[in-house]
Amino acid sequence: MSARRVGAGNGSLLWAQGLACGGIVAFAPALGLLMAALFWPIGLALVFDKAPGRPMARAAALCAAAASVGPIRSAWTGGLGLDATLAVATDLRVLAVTWCAAAGGWGLTILAPIVARAVLDATSASRAARLRAERARLLAAWRWEEAGSDPG
Amino acid sequence: MAASLPEPPDRRLIGAAHAVDPARPLPGAGGGLPAFVVLDPHGSPSGLMAVQVARAMPPRALALKAASGMTDGVLGPVGHGPGPVSGPAGTEAYYVFCPAPPGASVAAVPRAWSEAELLGCLLRPAVQTLARLADRGVTHRAIRPNNVFQPAPGQPVILGQAWAAPPAALQPALFEPPYSAMCLPCGRGEGAVADDIYALGALMVVLALGRTPLEDHDPTEIVRRKLEHGSFAAVTGDSRLPPTIADLARGMLAEDPEHRPTPALLLDGVAARARRVVARPPKRGQTAVRIGPWAAWDARGLAHALAAHQQPGLAALRNGVVDTWLRRSLGDATLAARLEAIVNAPPSDEGEARADAVLVMRAVAALDPLAPLCWRGIAVWPDGVGPALAAAQRADAPADEAGALIDLVASEAAGTWAAARAERVDGSLIRVAARQRRALLGARGPTGGPRRLAYALNPLLACDSPLLGGRVVARPADLLAALDARAARGEPEPPPPVDEDIAAFVAARAERPGEAETARLAVGDGAKAALARIELLATIQDRGCGAVPALARWLVASPEPLVAGWRNVATRARLAGRLGALAEAGQLLPLLSLLQDPAGRAADLHGAREAGGQLARIDAELARIEGGAGARAATARGLGQEAAAGIALGAVALAVALALFR
Repeated sequence: MSARRVGAGNGSLLWAQGLACGGIVAFAPALGLLMAALFWPIGLALVFDKAPGRPMARAAALCAAAASVGPIRSAWTGGLGLDATLAVATDLRVLAVTWCAAAGGWGLTILAPIVARAVLDATSASRAARLRAERARLLAAWRWEEAGSDPG
Repeated sequence: MAASLPEPPDRRLIGAAHAVDPARPLPGAGGGLPAFVVLDPHGSPSGLMAVQVARAMPPRALALKAASGMTDGVLGPVGHGPGPVSGPAGTEAYYVFCPAPPGASVAAVPRAWSEAELLGCLLRPAVQTLARLADRGVTHRAIRPNNVFQPAPGQPVILGQAWAAPPAALQPALFEPPYSAMCLPCGRGEGAVADDIYALGALMVVLALGRTPLEDHDPTEIVRRKLEHGSFAAVTGDSRLPPTIADLARGMLAEDPEHRPTPALLLDGVAARARRVVARPPKRGQTAVRIGPWAAWDARGLAHALAAHQQPGLAALRNGVVDTWLRRSLGDATLAARLEAIVNAPPSDEGEARADAVLVMRAVAALDPLAPLCWRGIAVWPDGVGPALAAAQRADAPADEAGALIDLVASEAAGTWAAARAERVDGSLIRVAARQRRALLGARGPTGGPRRLAYALNPLLACDSPLLGGRVVARPADLLAALDARAARGEPEPPPPVDEDIAAFVAARAERPGEAETARLAVGDGAKAALARIELLATIQDRGCGAVPALARWLVASPEPLVAGWRNVATRARLAGRLGALAEAGQLLPLLSLLQDPAGRAADLHGAREAGGQLARIDAELARIEGGAGARAATARGLGQEAAAGIALGAVALAVALALFR
C-alpha cells in the first residue's frame, strides 16, 4: 500500500515534469533548447546518483540553476527569440560556468560529509579524553583493585 | 684482656613476691625435677623453692588450685609462673613455688626403717596428709622415695611437691598399680586416693627393706611381675617384713583400689591391720596363652598382653586361640562368652584399623575391669589424655604415640571404653568429654586439631610458638609481654605476630564468645588476618595487660593490609599516619577503634558506591563513543548533504536576487 502510494507520487512528479517540459517546448521552444544545453549534465547526474533523495544531483541541479539565472535572464530579455537564445546557448563561457557550477554542487555534496565527519570525530575524541581523565581520577582515589569486589 | 663478668641473675619478681635464682639449684628438692632457690623481693632466700616444669609436661592446674596454701605434711604450692633459667638471656621456664623441703629425701640415705618409725614417722603423717588432700578433692600421685622428706631422723615425713608435672608422670612402675604403671607416663590421670595408698604401701615396703626391690628391672617387667604374682608378692619378693608392716602393706598393695584401706582406716592402726578383704585370687590357667612375646596365665595378664601387642592379640582373638584358652585352660566360660560376643560384634564403619583397635580395647576391658583405656598399643586414663597429648608432641616422643592418641580422641574411644566398664566409671561424663574433645580435634583451621586439643586439655601448657623466642607463656596475659619482647629485638622483616600455635593457644584459653573465631582469622596474610590479629591481641590487653609499644609497632609495621578495607586512598593515607602515632602509646584498643570505626567505614563505603556508579556511567559513555563511529558517519553524511543542498539553494536565491535587482 505504502509502496503504491510512493510510486503514485513519483508518477505524479514525473507527469508534472513532463507537462512542464512539454509546456516549455510548446510555448518557448528556444528556452527549452537553452535549458537543455545548460542542464543536460543534471540529467546525467540524476541517472548516476542512486542515493535516496539524490543529494548530489539535487545540489548539482541547484548550483547549475544558480549559474543559469543570468543566461536565462539574457534570453528572456532578448524576447526568447531563437537567434538570441541560440547565441546564449552556444556561448561556451556560459555553458562552462553552468556546467562547472553543476560539478561544484556535486563536489560540495561529497566534501561536506567529510568535513562534518571530521568535526563530529573531534568532538567525540575530546569528550572521551575528558571521561578517561575523570575515570583515572576516580580509580586513583578509590583503589578498586585492592579493596576487593565492587561495593556497589 | 679482662674476662667478662658474669651477668647478675634475673631478679624479676613472679607473682609480685618471688624471684627465682637459677644460679642456685637445690639438688634433690624437686623430687626428680630441677629446683632452685627463691628470693624474696629484697633478694634474700625466702625459704621457698621453685620447681622447674619440664617443657612438654604441664603442671597440674586443678591440683595447684586445690592444694594451694597447704603447709602441713606436704610441700603445698604457693604460686606458679614463668621465670628465668640459667642460660641465654630472655630464656624462661615455668616454675611452681612451694616450700623448700626441711630435710633430705628418704632416698638420700638408704637404710632400713624400724617398724615404729615406719608407723609413726611415715604411715601416720603421710596418711593424715592424704586425708587432708582428699578433703580438698586432690590426689598426690608422687609418693616415691626421692619425693618424701624427713627433717631429721625420728620426725614425721613430709610429702614432696606433686604439682609441677602431670599426676604420677615421674612415678617409677614399682610405686604404681599395674593399671597405672602400664600407661604412658603423662597419661596416668588424677587417679584416686587409693592410688596414693598403693604408692605409700610400696614406699613403706622399700623403707622396711632398706633397699628398692626390682630396681634393675624395666617397667614392663615390673608390671608383668605384679600382674603375674600380685603387687604385694612382686614388691616384697622373698624378703621378710615385720608382721604388722606386712599386713598393712598387703592391704595397701591390693590389686583392686576398692580393696585398699582408706586413709581413715589406716589412721586406726589396729583396724587397718585387722582388716581382711576377701578378694578372690585370680583364676590361673593350666597352661599359658602366648600373645607375642608375652605368656599370660590369667585374664589380667592376657588383657595386658593384648593391650601391649595388638596385632598378635587380634590374631589370637579372631582365630579362637583366646576363646579356647579361656574355656579349656582357664575354665571361665562366662568370660569366654562375653569375649566371643565382642569378637563377633558387627564392626564399626570407621575403617578396619579403627575397628581392630575398638575390638582390642573392648576385649581388654572385658578381661580386666581395672585396666585403663588401651588403644593401638598405648594405655591412658581418659583424664590423662591431655597431658599425654602434650608430652607426645615433644620432639623426642615416639612418632606413633601422638598418632594413637589423636586417633583415640577422633574415634571417641573413651566413650566406648566407659560403656564397656560402666560399673566402674561414670560413662555419661566420659562420653560427653569424649564428644567435646572430638569436636575440638575436628575444628577447622589453626584453632582446631591436636594443637588446640592439647592446649584445651592442659590449662597450664605453655604456648609452643617459635615466635615467643624462649619465653614461657602459659596464660594469654603473658603473651603480649613475650611478643613485645620479641618485637623489641627489631628484626628487619618480622613474621606476623600470631602464628598457628598462638592462635590455637588463645582459642583454647578464650574467655569471651567469638575470641576463638578471631584467633582462627588472625593467622595468615591479608587484610582480614591483619585486623583480626589486632583485635585478638587488643582483647587480651583489655584484660589488664600493660602497654606494648614494640608489639604495637610490629602490628602496624605494614599498614597497607590494615587499611586495605578502606577504599578511599586519602583516608588510607590518613589512617596509616595515625596508626603509627597511636602505636607509640602501646595501646591496641585505640588502634582497633581507629581501624574498625563503623561510621567512617559506612561513609567510605557510601563514597565508594557513588564513585562506582560514576565509573559505570563513564564506562558506558566511553563504550558508546568507541562504538559510535558508524552512527557518526551516517550523521555526518546526512549533515553534509543537507549542508550542500542548503549552500546550493542559497546560491540560487542569491543569483535570482542579483538578477532581479541589478
